[in-house]
Amino acid sequence: MTKQQANWSPYDFNGGTCVAVAGADYCVIAADTRMSTGYNILTRDYSKICKLADKSFLASSGFQADVRALQKHLEARHLIYQHQHNKQMSCPAMAQLLSNTLYYKRFFPYYAFNVLGGLDNEGKGCVFTYDAVGSYEKVGYSSQGSGAKLIMPFLDNQLKAPSPLLLPARDAVTPLSEPEAIDLVKTAFASATERDIYTVSVNGDKLEIVVLNSEGMRREYMDLRKD
Amino acid sequence: MHLVNKLSSSGSSRPFPVPSREPSSVEKIVEIDEHIGCAMSGLIADACTLVEHARVETQNHRFSYGEPMTVESTTQALCDLALRFGEGDEESMANTDFLLNNCASRLWFPLVCCGLRKGMGVSRPFGVSLLIAGHDENGPSLYYMDPSGTFWQCGAKAIGSGSEGADSSLQEQYGKDLTLQETETIPLSILKQVMEEKVTPNNVDIAKVSPNYHLYSPSEAEAVIARL
Repeated sequence: MTKQQANWSPYDFNGGTCVAVAGADYCVIAADTRMSTGYNILTRDYSKICKLADKSFLASSGFQADVRALQKHLEARHLIYQHQHNKQMSCPAMAQLLSNTLYYKRFFPYYAFNVLGGLDNEGKGCVFTYDAVGSYEKVGYSSQGSGAKLIMPFLDNQLKAPSPLLLPARDAVTPLSEPEAIDLVKTAFASATERDIYTVSVNGDKLEIVVLNSEGMRREYMDLRKD
Repeated sequence: MHLVNKLSSSGSSRPFPVPSREPSSVEKIVEIDEHIGCAMSGLIADACTLVEHARVETQNHRFSYGEPMTVESTTQALCDLALRFGEGDEESMANTDFLLNNCASRLWFPLVCCGLRKGMGVSRPFGVSLLIAGHDENGPSLYYMDPSGTFWQCGAKAIGSGSEGADSSLQEQYGKDLTLQETETIPLSILKQVMEEKVTPNNVDIAKVSPNYHLYSPSEAEAVIARL
């Protein structure tokens, strides 16, 4: 008797790439707007960036149904936190909560590859990068998703801080100015678009960029290569 | 059992010096987290249940959010427990199930501690008042909690058998701009007035939170007593 195999999977892969870069007093979070399945496009206009708190934005690629469930869960938890503690959650607190939430489903994971970006309590940019089960790290920049393998080496080349093994520990936030960082993110996506079919932007597909700084939040859209 | 607490330091006395009783076994000021301490008056066993619950809550908060819990939230978490008594009329298990699944068992353990399992209720209120002192992002703060589950924020407060006299003395002497030295000696001198026996390092406890909780050793207490 051979073991019966499943003839369906609870997961799907909807593609997409997310990037975040932290600066001294700003944070840039970006993601493409294409949602696909297999070789088909479901929509060219889907936002993968979600506002969890005033100063915390979550960008996730992977299986968007799981991503949406995760966003709803975190939004609800944030609301409860606000009621109980009379304040917004800080980005580091949200980072810990996201990690715990993901690990809670360690044996049936959220198929979501997350990058959390925001400002900490002092107004400094912070980026946290995750795997699907909640392992996380505070970093100066990160990318996740189908284009990550193309974008990450480029970001490493442009932004990588001195080795974390050097003492005293150096903060990884980039010294670049905000316009320079936005430009860098656009360049990174333009390159990924050249070679990653899931992160291309064809007629209408866009790159969504959220910029968070002391003045607040703003959202920009940029057209990517149209093919 | 007199307790006097001022923003950032508190003093409490141990009851009736019975020669056979070991003074160091009476613990009326305890640590809840490294930035929060608590002084108790009343049924000490009930207070221990509450303190245990506060300790669990603060550590759960650190686990979930990677940050220390504010003093007010800690006090609120204790007050949430105060009115849960009666016969089996607890909040339905459906509510606790949601919390169980989504808050990593943060309420389950203390509920069991209080005997709040399905169908079984706690039969009486907690017979204890607490002074919760701590330091968080809003600076130092002091909260007073009574068995009804109401809490007040105070600058200075006294609880226990001599509390009326002590409270009125505190009113006169308290100011928002006291130095640490003054917040050490003022409660102790008020304790001295209301205590029957002489103040010694063996029959008073002094603790401060500035910004971490610290219970004074007998020699440190001795130094403060000498300044009286």
